[in-house]
Amino acid sequence: MSTADVWHYLLLGLWTTLRLSLASMGVALALGTLIGVLRVSPVPPLRWFAAGYVEFFRDIPLLPVLVFVYSGLPKAGIRLPTSFDSAVAGLGVYTAAFVAEVVRAGLQSVHKGQIEAALSLGMSFFQMIRLVVLPQAFRMMIPPLGTVFIALVKNTSIASAIAVEELLYQAEFVIGRTFADWPMLIAFLLYLVITVPLSGLVNFLERRLRILF
Amino acid sequence: MQVQERPWQTLVGVGIVLLLLPLAFHMKAARFAPFLELSTWRFLFLGLLLTLEASVIAILGSIPLALFFALARHSGPFWLRYPVIVLVEGIRALPLLGLMFYLFLRLSALGRALGLAAVTRPDAAVIVALWLYTGAVNGEALRAAILSLPRGQWEAARSLGLTYGQAMRLVILPQAFRRALPPLVAQFATLVKDTSLGAIIGFIELYRRGVIIFQGERNPMETLYVVSVIYFFINYALGRLVDILERRLGFRRG
Repeated sequence: MSTADVWHYLLLGLWTTLRLSLASMGVALALGTLIGVLRVSPVPPLRWFAAGYVEFFRDIPLLPVLVFVYSGLPKAGIRLPTSFDSAVAGLGVYTAAFVAEVVRAGLQSVHKGQIEAALSLGMSFFQMIRLVVLPQAFRMMIPPLGTVFIALVKNTSIASAIAVEELLYQAEFVIGRTFADWPMLIAFLLYLVITVPLSGLVNFLERRLRILF
Repeated sequence: MQVQERPWQTLVGVGIVLLLLPLAFHMKAARFAPFLELSTWRFLFLGLLLTLEASVIAILGSIPLALFFALARHSGPFWLRYPVIVLVEGIRALPLLGLMFYLFLRLSALGRALGLAAVTRPDAAVIVALWLYTGAVNGEALRAAILSLPRGQWEAARSLGLTYGQAMRLVILPQAFRRALPPLVAQFATLVKDTSLGAIIGFIELYRRGVIIFQGERNPMETLYVVSVIYFFINYALGRLVDILERRLGFRRG
């Protein structure tokens, strides 16, 4: 295996890591927003369920969740087409708990008068959330969501355990073939290329928002 | 929109989640049979001890490392400060599993060269990776705690004639450690979860023992469910401890 081959595999892995991160973040945003909204809903059992969902997934490791989806769900007759899909489902469900916390904090940051005004205009709870609160809460949520996304990018490496051919998987594969360990250092560099600019961006946005509010 | 749930409400919610999971995925009562036997629990318990052992070593070991990182970055000379910044930020920006895997490669090579069997084992790589990672995270927590102290503390200490080192040691650090205690406990909960990554390189801790059970019993859903609930209880308790510490030490909104 030549140096060019090593780079070829690692860059393939980087591409899969990026796709996996974005797809999982999509699932996590959709599910997490729903759960975050349920946390402030007027129906107590729904609030409790949402709080329980967040507490449960924040207190358990990601690895059993991924393996549950990958090895467990087929036993229940649920077969996802590829291990990539299993990883998206597992990472999405897990990260949704962290997104939900951000969404809840964002919703709570909106001034009470806004909610009273929306409700007194005759909006329903979900209209009020969707049309009045979420648009205002969203800007407060961007930096912490960035932090969640960075953690998600790092967590995608755990998908190598369920045979998703992402960056860490490819690095291990290449090392198994070449018996050299420098490819892992290149893989580290590629992770840093994603995470370092992202955390710089998060810091920048945090400073900007602090000035704006 | 005041929605701080009470602990019992959150626990009811967790109960709902734990009830919905078996229903949604048609888990079979018969497949929980291994958990009626004491030997299964003993097997898991020994794994849990390994998980806690690795976590305790990493968190205790991380304290001096965190102190070094925080002081070097806060007030070290430039030739120490910049390498430490790069190291701390680098460690925090990398996936822990990658770090573990790399350290496993390097340490097993080192252990073979030195003829030390203990260093070649996955346990060593897991603990060193967790130690470095936690040291970097706690170093930042401690530095944040130092920076969060009011300026008056420094000024009062210096105007009493204490040197910089005395002020740091006698006035600033004791207060900073107090402030850094809740994040330290929270970091311990993270460690308990992160130790499961060691399973991938062959550390036979709690999660890996669950895998061994389900590969024999062919009940991955049921076993992973039980293992996850064990993790949940430990970390839920640690989370409440963090709440108590934050309230006791008096830096919480409510």
